[in-house]
Amino acid sequence: MTWDWSFALKILPDLMAGVFYTVLVTLASSAIALTGGLLLAILESVSTAFGRAFVRFWLELARGVPALVLLYFAFYVLPEAGITLPAMPIGIAVLGIVYAAYSSEVYRGSLITIPVELRDACVALNLSPYVTWQRVLVPLMIKRSLPVLVNYVLGLFRETTVLFALGIPVLMGQAIVVADQSFRYLEPFTLASVIYLGMNLPFLFLLSRFKVKYA
Amino acid sequence: MLSAVEFSRSGPFVPAAAAAPMEADGSANRSQQAMWSIEFEKVSKSFGAHRVLVDLDLHVRPGEKVTLIGPSGSGKTTVLRLAMTLEKPTGGDIRVFGESIVFDAAGKPISGSQEARIRRRCGMVFQQFNLFPHLTVLQNLILAPTTVLRQSREQAEKSAFEYLRIVGLENKVHAYPAQLSGGQQQRIAIARALILRPEILLLDEITSALDPELAGEVLDVVRGLAQESKVTLLIVTHEMRFARDVSDRIVVFDAGRIIEQGSPEKIFTNPESERTRAFLRSILNH
Repeated sequence: MTWDWSFALKILPDLMAGVFYTVLVTLASSAIALTGGLLLAILESVSTAFGRAFVRFWLELARGVPALVLLYFAFYVLPEAGITLPAMPIGIAVLGIVYAAYSSEVYRGSLITIPVELRDACVALNLSPYVTWQRVLVPLMIKRSLPVLVNYVLGLFRETTVLFALGIPVLMGQAIVVADQSFRYLEPFTLASVIYLGMNLPFLFLLSRFKVKYA
Repeated sequence: MLSAVEFSRSGPFVPAAAAAPMEADGSANRSQQAMWSIEFEKVSKSFGAHRVLVDLDLHVRPGEKVTLIGPSGSGKTTVLRLAMTLEKPTGGDIRVFGESIVFDAAGKPISGSQEARIRRRCGMVFQQFNLFPHLTVLQNLILAPTTVLRQSREQAEKSAFEYLRIVGLENKVHAYPAQLSGGQQQRIAIARALILRPEILLLDEITSALDPELAGEVLDVVRGLAQESKVTLLIVTHEMRFARDVSDRIVVFDAGRIIEQGSPEKIFTNPESERTRAFLRSILNH
């Protein structure tokens, strides 16, 4: 097992293409997860008992079934019901939905920690429910949730590796393709590991900032 | 710090001198009910099996400054929360300027717009300030004027600066609540309530969370408000000297009932009820 620098340099462009798709999927899925989670938390909070049970059922489903199973279900079973979508949108949507379920729990926890006295103040100021949510509760929920949500985005970024199972050319997928074609595994997976680690750094920096700010 | 001109802008008040006369026991004449700013008639409130208020009758004239005193747990804060529609009574009727806050004249439950209309006439300042921590002082002040009163941002900011000057904090306009002392936060909370120009202002133990020095600066603001404005004040406080200074009437609560009410002089120098005497002794010797 010897490291081949020329081979490493040769496969780097393919891996960087994988980086592009990894970032694309992470950004798109995170957008779905963070906004969807917020909407689910609000919906659960303002719903009737039946509505809450309905939301909770789907949340538990998304959190309880592994992402890979959901990906295969969406990719192979939905076409039988006449719903055929390309792999990339399916991958983005499934990861987004799964992490929306996780995020909604974070938002919900933040909402619970907002003192009830602030809601009293909103009533005393005669703010409408919409303004109360838009200007007071949602900003506070987001602010209080941020450190955990950054962690979840980091988790989602790592979870994009499973998308290689649908043939989506994320970094992990590209590394596997290169390795299978060349029968060399050291360089592709070492480089993939280093790149994943390097891409973690901005998240780790953000988390350290949050720790300093909120500790 | 305060002037008559400044506080007289605080709403379309009915002069206290022109208000309807009240019976010595504080009860209302029903034919003059529109002349009351706020009325509690046979109001009860229970939390589970615990009865907090029992058949409360209390009528407050426009512009009157009424202070509720009594031991902790006697129902004083609940009176304010009921007036602000933060709680619903278990029984009885509460009216704000003749308009019921529970049922309308036909006995139908209050509508959202009616509730909003009533809330618009009331303002409340809380023990724990309850400023929005993610908003600056200015943003705290203009949120309700821009969204409730539909004022332009420029107009709302102009008002905000005026009220900040009244409470002596015009230099804190861009500070966040966490950057202010407790007394400063409470003064901002008072300005935030006043900027909506309420006709009734409910002050719930506004100095209880403050040390004496900071409490003094808040009480000075309320003293000025009480002397110069025609806003109806309903105050819950344990500051007896302050209550004596600002009140037209003192109402003494015990176990969810009014046990005595009258002028500050009468209550503090010649109370009728032994329970009032005991309460005043305990609090003045504290």
